[in-house]
Amino acid sequence: MNDKHIEMRGVRKTYKFFTLDDLSLDLAPGEVMGFVGPNGAGKSTTLRLALGLIAPDAGEIRVMGHAMPDGQAAAKRDIGYVSGDMRLLPHATLGWHMDFVKSIYPEWDGGYAATLIKRFNLRPEQNARSLSLGEHVKATLLLALARRPRLLILDEPTTGLDPVARHEVISEFMDVLRDDNRSILFSSHNTVDVERISDRITFIDRGRIVDCSNKEDFLDRWRRIHVQLPAGTTLPSLPNIVGRVNDGQFITLTTNQFSEGLLALVGSHVRDVQRMNLEEIFVANVMHHREARGQ
Amino acid sequence: MYSGINISQTDARPMYLQIMEQIRARIAAGDWAAGKELPSIRALAVALNVSVITIKRAYLDLESEGVIVTRHGKGSFVADVNGLAGELKDAELDKHLAEAADIGRQLGLTEDELAARLRRALKNLEKK
Amino acid sequence: MNIVIRKLIAKELYVNRWFIVGGSAAGMASAVIASLGKTGFNVGALTWLTTIIASGVMLALYGIMNERKEQSLQFVLSLPLSIAEYVRAKMLGLTACFLIIWLVSSVAALMPILLKDSIPDGIAAYTVLLCVFMLANFTVVLCGALHAQSEALTSAVIIVTNMGVSIFMFTVGPLPGINEHMWGPAPVWNSTFWTVLGCELAVMAIAFALPFFFAARRRDFL
Repeated sequence: MNDKHIEMRGVRKTYKFFTLDDLSLDLAPGEVMGFVGPNGAGKSTTLRLALGLIAPDAGEIRVMGHAMPDGQAAAKRDIGYVSGDMRLLPHATLGWHMDFVKSIYPEWDGGYAATLIKRFNLRPEQNARSLSLGEHVKATLLLALARRPRLLILDEPTTGLDPVARHEVISEFMDVLRDDNRSILFSSHNTVDVERISDRITFIDRGRIVDCSNKEDFLDRWRRIHVQLPAGTTLPSLPNIVGRVNDGQFITLTTNQFSEGLLALVGSHVRDVQRMNLEEIFVANVMHHREARGQ
Repeated sequence: MYSGINISQTDARPMYLQIMEQIRARIAAGDWAAGKELPSIRALAVALNVSVITIKRAYLDLESEGVIVTRHGKGSFVADVNGLAGELKDAELDKHLAEAADIGRQLGLTEDELAARLRRALKNLEKK
Repeated sequence: MNIVIRKLIAKELYVNRWFIVGGSAAGMASAVIASLGKTGFNVGALTWLTTIIASGVMLALYGIMNERKEQSLQFVLSLPLSIAEYVRAKMLGLTACFLIIWLVSSVAALMPILLKDSIPDGIAAYTVLLCVFMLANFTVVLCGALHAQSEALTSAVIIVTNMGVSIFMFTVGPLPGINEHMWGPAPVWNSTFWTVLGCELAVMAIAFALPFFFAARRRDFL
């Protein structure tokens, strides 16, 4: 199946104090896309646009082949949505919710649901009100996963979870990837998790996409180059340097297009070349773009 | 099943290199025999909670090194090359010797001094 | 009506089940008390009115605003339905909840009138008008709650409709055509009666239809 699961082109959404602008995003089947951005950058807004819960002011959105938001009823048949601040209906048990979802989705896999309930250490008799945050996330994830949706949209699924719960949750939604027809779009602050499980990563800041690339590419391209320049020497003009910090003789260069060629240009004063983890790449990337936009 | 392979995110080396190393080590040790089928890319990704793209990269690089062979539609297998395990061990030895030579030079040792150190290390091994 | 809407209506009834039972019981009890002599009437009638008004308001407020606050709105909106279908399900579901309380309370109010000899049957006409008014009242509150984007606006709707009850009692009661027959031996279904009833039904129809045109057309639901 060649059709993308999510296609957004030039999407704009204006609010009083915030505008999401020129947003383009693609998600192919079989892929995990990590969506990273500071608070208020527009991650939740983007995910809600994908679900059809908000309508864009401009641009096109297609999810599972349906134009959004008009096609949301059909699209949501095949989308599992879990959000860190989503709650079950009060005054009803988990078991009731399972029956409720099962009656709406014929694809409900009761066997898998039973496995998940055991794995997540939940009980059907538990009342929605008595669930902790971690249990709530696991419960809503269970309700989404047992339907075996082709697309999983997760909004901060692990924020606020203890390390054990985080591991359980991630393992479970990674399981979706056994099938190369299913995909995941998830937004998270947790750059460690994003770095580990994403195939592609999109950075968003202040309503704009800052960068989008496959993960290995990001990790390959970004480096910190530590240079020690004796007094009287200067560095030649160098391409693709997005950051520079001077500390006397010691200079730290940040590049987003590392190559041996670049290293050669820097010359013999290189002390050390450091890889950057996703968090460092993200911060450097955002800072660089804010500077470029004069912010 | 594959929980024996462990990827550390605090390790300085990139994840795909760690995977390659651990697979190579198992082949070199003989744990993964020639012709053994490797887990599918997706299965390993799910087992390790690591992105598919990383596993793909590791497998591709291992294939270009001749350590594994991928048959389209069938899967990936440990290369059935005689002495592959031995070859890998050889490559490992060369790597360590190169590092030793480098450090030796930094310390200012002569060729004979370095050789003497190697002999001493061998003797220590025999004592154990 | 598709299965998602049906299931959501059932969910509304389920989630509010204790409230429906409590409200119905209170309405029934109030009606019984109201039929017991003059003091009973004053106490019972007041409780009866309060029960029905309060039930309606709480259903509308809790059913709509609190779903938002309790963050369970996201769960419902993640189901395979459109915003219009959600509004429809909400309207039908909450109305079903209220209808049960209202039906039980209204029947309980009318029965003593028609069955007990000590109570003149003439007041049945006024009571019917009052009951239908309460139903129309609810539809207006529900309509307001579905459209209001803030709690302040919803509160305003509630206050205004509450005033409406008092206005009803002060204007419809003394109406010629109603007043003189209230204490008569038989209920009189004259033109005044039908006119008032007609107005109530018209208001109800408008209040019920409005959300399908406005709230359902909203493109942003969060």
